[in-house]
Amino acid sequence: MLQLDKVSVRFGGLTAVNEVSLEVGSGDVVGLVGANGAGKTTLFNAISGLVRPTGGAIRFNGADILHAPLHRRARLGIGRTFQIPQPMHELTVRQNLVVAQRFATGRVDERKIAEVLAFTGLAEKADRDAASELALTELKALEVAKALATQPKLLLLDEVLAGLETNGKRRFMQMLKGLHEAFAVGIVIIEHDIETISQLCHRVAVLNFGQLIAEGKPAQVFSDPAVIKSYTGA
Amino acid sequence: MSELILQALYSGLLQGGSYALIALGLALVFGAMRVINLAQGELVLLSAYIAYSVESGMGLNPVLAIPIALVVVCLTSAVVYFVVSRIKKDREINSLILTYGIGVILTNGMLLVWKADIRSTSSEWMQEAFVLGPFYSMRSEVLFFGVSLVMMAGLWWWLSRSWYGRAVRAVSSNRDAAKLMGINPGYTELVSFIVAGILAAFAGVALFSYGVISPAYGGVLTVKAFIITVLAGVGSIPGVLIGAVLLGVAEALTVTLASSALQELAGMGLFLLVLFIMPNGLFGVRGRRG
Amino acid sequence: MQTTKNTTKNTTMSKTSLLALLALCVGGPLLFAQDHYVMSLLVASMVIGGIALSWALLGNLGGMISFGHAAFFGVGAYTSAVLSMKFGVPVLAALLLGGVGALVAALAMLPVLRLRGPYFALAILAYAHIFRILATEWTSMTGGSGGLSSIPPLPTLPGLDLSSKIGAYFVILFIVLVFAVIYARLRESHYGLALRAMHESEDATRVVGVNSVVLKGMMLLLSAFMCGVVGAFNAHYISFLEPDYAFSALWVTIPIVAAIFGGYRSISGPVVGAVVVYLLDQLVFKNIIPSGHQLVLGVLLVAMIVFSPDGLLPLLRKLFKGKFTRSKHAAT
Repeated sequence: MLQLDKVSVRFGGLTAVNEVSLEVGSGDVVGLVGANGAGKTTLFNAISGLVRPTGGAIRFNGADILHAPLHRRARLGIGRTFQIPQPMHELTVRQNLVVAQRFATGRVDERKIAEVLAFTGLAEKADRDAASELALTELKALEVAKALATQPKLLLLDEVLAGLETNGKRRFMQMLKGLHEAFAVGIVIIEHDIETISQLCHRVAVLNFGQLIAEGKPAQVFSDPAVIKSYTGA
Repeated sequence: MSELILQALYSGLLQGGSYALIALGLALVFGAMRVINLAQGELVLLSAYIAYSVESGMGLNPVLAIPIALVVVCLTSAVVYFVVSRIKKDREINSLILTYGIGVILTNGMLLVWKADIRSTSSEWMQEAFVLGPFYSMRSEVLFFGVSLVMMAGLWWWLSRSWYGRAVRAVSSNRDAAKLMGINPGYTELVSFIVAGILAAFAGVALFSYGVISPAYGGVLTVKAFIITVLAGVGSIPGVLIGAVLLGVAEALTVTLASSALQELAGMGLFLLVLFIMPNGLFGVRGRRG
Repeated sequence: MQTTKNTTKNTTMSKTSLLALLALCVGGPLLFAQDHYVMSLLVASMVIGGIALSWALLGNLGGMISFGHAAFFGVGAYTSAVLSMKFGVPVLAALLLGGVGALVAALAMLPVLRLRGPYFALAILAYAHIFRILATEWTSMTGGSGGLSSIPPLPTLPGLDLSSKIGAYFVILFIVLVFAVIYARLRESHYGLALRAMHESEDATRVVGVNSVVLKGMMLLLSAFMCGVVGAFNAHYISFLEPDYAFSALWVTIPIVAAIFGGYRSISGPVVGAVVVYLLDQLVFKNIIPSGHQLVLGVLLVAMIVFSPDGLLPLLRKLFKGKFTRSKHAAT
């Protein structure tokens, strides 16, 4: 479904992503890990269209999307959450989802919205204003809900668990575990916690200084000495 | 024909000096506070009118108006700062409208005091021809070009060497970090406004000495200063000078080759050209896209 | 439980006050129909109201502050005047075409949409200057600096002479009302929601499929069209046009003061603000300071931004009602 072919992103003198090649199938749940600054979010930005790669190719369901603008990629089925939630403050939770669905799919399906609301636990607060009324957990849930409302084929989750306390984390984990099945969506998830990744993902890819240094099943990857070194040493 | 063009280049160059001072005032405040002072042109004009009053009222050479202009313009600039600092939210947009309103107040204030007639200096000393090789200019043009070079050098020194100068640069690049280092952003913002006032004061006296002024001209000056900052890109003093000279030259060439009515178009055209072709300005480092 | 659309509730008027306002707009002038001076004040204030509305629309929905609406006003005025004078287009049609002319002018401005706040505002100003100079220099078409006179007046329809003061008033009132309705419908629509969300974070909306660039562009075109129609109306009402008048800074300053005074986040605010501010300016300020009376407008603007950027009228309304809704002002 998603093919990254030697994707590179350079900012001036800094190479944030260095010739990363990765494939994500529609049935996959892939974890993306690496130290801070390894280039994970940049890679997400490249896939979703916030940043133009300086090299390589990106194909989504066969189509070359390298030059496709952001909104087009969303309409093609790439959904993404932001690490720091960016809700549409002026709107209610429900309106956030309505806008997302309306513009990504061209229609508003009340049933599907209700489904997403229920799944992310936001049904109760659906008609509250997004900014001032919601706690961090709910804001993060809204990020995921917004992305789900666009009916994506590929979901990029950027550190959704960051900043959550234990209870919130647990609830989120439950949600994430069911995500893949409930919505038939391929997922790439950035997280720092090895435990989380091992539980959620079929596959893991490790970035270090912008380069892909390992890829495979969680157990394999996390016992790879090179990976351990990148976490603790380099 | 080529002499005409060379002459235009020369005049444009001289004009660029004063334009640069105005643009630098704008850039300084923007750098310190992320605020564009749309009243900057009016501050310059205020100084010009003070020079006029000194000349017509006391019969003195406009240069002697500089001390008075400095005091008045810097005070006014400080007042602008205080009002701007009272904005509670959405400073970027609200300060635009606010300084626009201050510009309206100043323009109409000047209209009331000095009436709508066009003024220019009657000092013969200022207007006397100054010949440099094949190039003609008024003495005032050359004098104030020299003055602006000196001021720019002083500004550059101040920004890079003095404590206040470095504080201004610190605040503009990272406000919170600057606070942690004990720099009071409010203070540096005020200082930047006052320095902008100093630049404006000199530019205004220069303007009066070799150009014509009328109350409506304040807005025109602000626009020109803004165009120059766009040409120069963010964060470059030499860039501002070059941008200012470019504008001056473009205007002079337009007047020489086309007509004086189209003079303003020169700046506008340059502005749009740069916007579409080189959005970062000629020397800019950071992008400006939304 | 918090109400939905809390922020729009703060700014939309209740049905009764809306009807009351409407009644005032229609009934009031009928009382003064014979007094030429008052009528011309009312017509002029409605013109300002129209510009203020289009300005507020661009600010609210488009998220852009413009200092160059005089460009649209002037282009609309000239387009309509020239079409009716040189090409015999009937006046009412010319009004619409005037709006189209302003829209075309706005097309030329689309590239500057990507600029942030101050850069956009001043880029528009640059365009305004360019159009003014064009109008001054293109003498064969626009009459140059001398301008155009004897512009065809509004037509006489069976039953109502639109060129009379009262007739003209109803024309501009109608125009403003239509625009207000369009604005309101737009704001409540999905597009309106998306536009409001774009102010916060354009990327967040683009990531869910909103083509923010196109939406912003449409707002610019719409705002230009509206302002152009108003400019066209004014040209036929005054019957005379010249560059300094058509592109005057007055068409920038007064609408901005009006919109902010009346509360530019609401739809009725700019229009009500226009009537109040304009009448104040003409009846009060002008008498105090005959030749620099705009100075007071400037002071008003500055005071408002500092003390009540969401407008004076909303502040008064809140004080009157005695309750202070929890201050959850949407970000401007």
